[in-house]
Amino acid sequence: MPEPVPFSSLHRHRQRRDRLATALITAGGVGVLLAVLAIGIFLVTGVLPLFLSDNGPSLTALWQPQANVDGVVEYRWLPESLKGGGIPQVNLLPLVWGTLEAALWALVLAIPLALGAAAHSSLFMSPRLRHRIRPTLELMEAMPSVVLGFIAGLVLGPWVERHLAETFTVIAALPLGILLVAGLRRCLPGAIRHWLSLRWAALWLIPCLAGSVIVALWGASYWENLWFDGDLRAWIEIHLGLDVQARNALILGLAMGFAVMPGIYALAEDALSDVPKELCEGAQAMGATRWQTLTKVMLPVALPGIFSAVMIGAGRAVGETMIVLMASGNTALMSANPLDGLRSLASSIAIELPEAVMGSSHYRLLLLAALALFIFTFVVNTLAEVVRSRLRQRLVRQRSMR
Amino acid sequence: MKIPGHAAATGASRRWQGEGPWAWLSAAAVALSLLMLGALLVLLATRGLGHFWPADLHQLRLADGQRLIGVPVETRQLPDDSGYERRYFTANRDHQGGIWTWVAEDAIEQDRTPNDLIVLQRGRWGAFFGRLVAVVTETERFGGDRAWQALRQRLDHLEELRQQSESLRRDHILPLIRQMERMKEHSRLSEQLTELEQQALTLQRAMTGTVLVLETADGKRFEQPLESVLDAWHPNSMGSVEKLAHWSRGVWQFLSEGPRDANAAGGVWPAIFGTVLMVMLMSLLVTPFGVLAAVYLNEVAHQGRLTRWVRIGVRNLAGVPSIVYGVFGLGVFVYGIGGSLDRLFYADTLPSPTFGTGGLLWASLTLALLTLPVVIVATEEGLARIPLHQREGALALGATHFETLTRVVLPMATPAMLTGVILAVARAAGEVAPLMLVGVAKLAPQVPVDGEFPFLHLERKFMHLGYHIYDAAFHSNDVQAALPLVYATALLLVLVILVLNLTAIFLRHYLRLRHGVPVRR
Amino acid sequence: MEFAREKASLDIQGLTLSYAGKPALKDLTLRIPRNKVTAFIGPSGCGKSTLLRSLNRLHDLNEDVTREGSIHLEGHDIHDPRVSVAELRRRVGMVFQAPNPFPMSIYENVAFGLRLQGRMSKRRIDDVVEWALKSAALWDEVKGRLRASAWSLSGGQQQRLVIARTLAVEPEVLLLDEPASALDPISTLKIEELIRTLKPHLTLVLVTHNMQQAARVSDYTAYLHNGELVEYGPTDTLFTHPRLRRTENYITGRMVG
Repeated sequence: MPEPVPFSSLHRHRQRRDRLATALITAGGVGVLLAVLAIGIFLVTGVLPLFLSDNGPSLTALWQPQANVDGVVEYRWLPESLKGGGIPQVNLLPLVWGTLEAALWALVLAIPLALGAAAHSSLFMSPRLRHRIRPTLELMEAMPSVVLGFIAGLVLGPWVERHLAETFTVIAALPLGILLVAGLRRCLPGAIRHWLSLRWAALWLIPCLAGSVIVALWGASYWENLWFDGDLRAWIEIHLGLDVQARNALILGLAMGFAVMPGIYALAEDALSDVPKELCEGAQAMGATRWQTLTKVMLPVALPGIFSAVMIGAGRAVGETMIVLMASGNTALMSANPLDGLRSLASSIAIELPEAVMGSSHYRLLLLAALALFIFTFVVNTLAEVVRSRLRQRLVRQRSMR
Repeated sequence: MKIPGHAAATGASRRWQGEGPWAWLSAAAVALSLLMLGALLVLLATRGLGHFWPADLHQLRLADGQRLIGVPVETRQLPDDSGYERRYFTANRDHQGGIWTWVAEDAIEQDRTPNDLIVLQRGRWGAFFGRLVAVVTETERFGGDRAWQALRQRLDHLEELRQQSESLRRDHILPLIRQMERMKEHSRLSEQLTELEQQALTLQRAMTGTVLVLETADGKRFEQPLESVLDAWHPNSMGSVEKLAHWSRGVWQFLSEGPRDANAAGGVWPAIFGTVLMVMLMSLLVTPFGVLAAVYLNEVAHQGRLTRWVRIGVRNLAGVPSIVYGVFGLGVFVYGIGGSLDRLFYADTLPSPTFGTGGLLWASLTLALLTLPVVIVATEEGLARIPLHQREGALALGATHFETLTRVVLPMATPAMLTGVILAVARAAGEVAPLMLVGVAKLAPQVPVDGEFPFLHLERKFMHLGYHIYDAAFHSNDVQAALPLVYATALLLVLVILVLNLTAIFLRHYLRLRHGVPVRR
Repeated sequence: MEFAREKASLDIQGLTLSYAGKPALKDLTLRIPRNKVTAFIGPSGCGKSTLLRSLNRLHDLNEDVTREGSIHLEGHDIHDPRVSVAELRRRVGMVFQAPNPFPMSIYENVAFGLRLQGRMSKRRIDDVVEWALKSAALWDEVKGRLRASAWSLSGGQQQRLVIARTLAVEPEVLLLDEPASALDPISTLKIEELIRTLKPHLTLVLVTHNMQQAARVSDYTAYLHNGELVEYGPTDTLFTHPRLRRTENYITGRMVG
């Protein structure tokens, strides 16, 4: 009978090493996570003295319009006024307004583009093309914002300022051009029509779009002469009483829409492709077109996912700094005119914080602006994430029930 | 059998081949995005690279008898629709005051590109367009055809002298001065220094003496000392091979030299260096901590409600605006930690701050914090994708938890971690806003790495490609003059980021091929 | 009876295992004899895999599991706090349903467990790798390409590689969790052949849903149902003269799992 082998203590040190490593990883991991979460704590502690001290600007001054020296009641952001003896005019509302306006214009461009692209790539696009498009749009997202800001502020802005009519014509011509192309395609002989299929439309429509842009640029001066005496800008300034700036909210929206669109696209496409295939096939088997399937069947299911995609896009647009800094003119106005400049919370921080004295009211005010951005994006993103994971759980449950 | 109303429905759908206009508009959304991306890249590439191409010089005679030499830049419609005007880059700031000239197209009587026009690149006053009349040295005068050869020869010689003088300054004089600063007794050293300075002076003197006689478009002659001329070429008589060589040299100089003229001219080498160094430091910081946090979240932590919330929190931090990280970096790293370090160790230099101001270390730390979520999320995804049976296989062989982690799980998750780090680097390289708060400089006099102990100067400010774009585009005296370089810098930055992202995309693709379908949480 | 005189390698006493409060194994008591093949059979979800995984404490990974009762390996309680789980798992090796070689070379897969045991000369590792691969009847097929990726092998070869990898650390017990269920018939035969040749050297515990396989390779068979041990005895007896009606129904295929 063989002697039973006792459990050796030979490998005791391995066990100890294992425990030690686990403890270290735990400490390190928790430490890193705490460091990351410290941002919120730092901002709150930095802002608090602003409200506790008496000599800073009062709370209401941050939100209510104030009379200035001339007695005109206005919203103003004049941080220099904190240094002088007078009434501090540091109203955050113009900045908040600018931030939201910029984000809004960005979304106005990004949402149709992103959702259209998501719908197209999840419904019609050839799978081969689809596998290429996604990384390409990821590259678009990775475009550094300082470059986008430079193009928008120094190239596109001045151009648009001089060519307002052309700009509006191009905007109108793009959808019309596409519909025209789609209509014309029907008249083509079968072989060419087959070659120009909807599956590959994302590629062969590019020259068509470029063509419409050229036609629009060529034709713009015609109706500008016809209706606006050859100068749309002067017409807008005189007849509508609107200011036209080279760096304005529209240009800003274009550049920021460009930056935000790929992110929304990726998440929205995920949401659409998570919709169970059987659901779509069922609808199509009943004779619905693919577009009808999308609107009637897929959209209601994927809506939370799309919502969260838009939310995350909005979060990014609100916090974007360099594009706003370079393409907005940085004038703290409360104007709804999209051709006017604006100033956002983020760009104010970037411009003013290096000059603000640490611990001064100005410094704390900018910290408050950062805190507002932090809370806004954090809440928006958490909401989006929760909605998204709920949706995913529901879909998984549905799938497992089948 | 016929269902009422059915025919109408098919008719409507047939008009659009069953899909309707929205399908086409949605396709156009993809096409438009691609078009915009392509247009942006083409714009950057043509403008950025085109700047270095030696463009032909045009000699114009205008209706009013004025003559000028320049390179056409853009054409605009006149406000009253009476025709077009063209903007010429005419250089010669020292003689004309400006470097741009607007010319109405109708006013041009003659437009020629004569072969004898030359371009001089000068240290001060920027470029010169015109003719070379003669090269006058102390002993000789080269006129006519010999002038150009003499100029080339002298320029090559001058370049040699410049390099000698630079190496003398960098390798001998500067170290000596530093040595003297440290030592108290330095009579012997100061003798050495005087000698070296004498050498430098001799070199300086050797550079002077030669004068170029130049002629501007309107026939005015003037003398230009040769020592301030950096380069000279005659674009109109250059063949395409020559032009290509000149172009490559221009690109190389852009990449390897420092900026001139308040960032409006010259190269971007310090900015490239600063960007790369900062990003490298950042990845050194972010990789271990990001992986540690991901391993903790995925492998060690109890997978309960709290972990799920922490995970969501980390994901959301990726969405927090970068400027907020900048504020945190300024408040905590620069003012908080940096300020304390200054009080503790650099009290003698206060009130001028050492670490208590923006610098390389704080910028890297801030960006590391900013990119931490990227690394954590990517690593976590990689870890979650490793099948359970691989872990069980290792455990069943008697491996401890830690051994399973280091020998099986982490090696398998390496591509995912790498992807995360590369994405982090790509994001950090393009990020400018937080840097404006924590340490980027418009023009850093010293590169953060030099021969002086401790060689890497973490407290120094540094230059950055992205900030260089912002600064040159918005804060230079003549934006139009700086624009070509801004385009080139932007192209460079975009290329760097594209390459990094493509690497990450390729890695991820490879990873999916190896480990099957991705697991999503 | 011979069965009663067998030396027990593993001794399970009153084992009850619950997942999140739901019992998966109910008061099991059985002794697994040394140097024999013991098969666990039963419908899916009956707890046979759970029982197998509790023998090398693989359930420790799951935090929801609670346990009562004891398991002794060669007379020592495996749940003794002084016991190193890693060491236990080395002594009680396990082969899983799907082949799970690591993404390394064939050689490194076999050497993996050895390298865990501390420094060893290259020579010694070479010898053990060769011995393990020979014991797993794989040597002749792979000896020319030991540096090739383990994932380049066929499914059957991968499974034998996993067995070789386990043998290399010289376990006393080898747990096999449906080792052939993912394999083709020829590979299955090879695995069964291998089980027979290994029997003189170690104790084998086999979970299978394949009745014929249990009958072909095992010496003793335990039939589990709903986490309870229904019948346990020499394979011949159990398959030809089951004591209980339930066992007979299952064996003859009259019972749906």
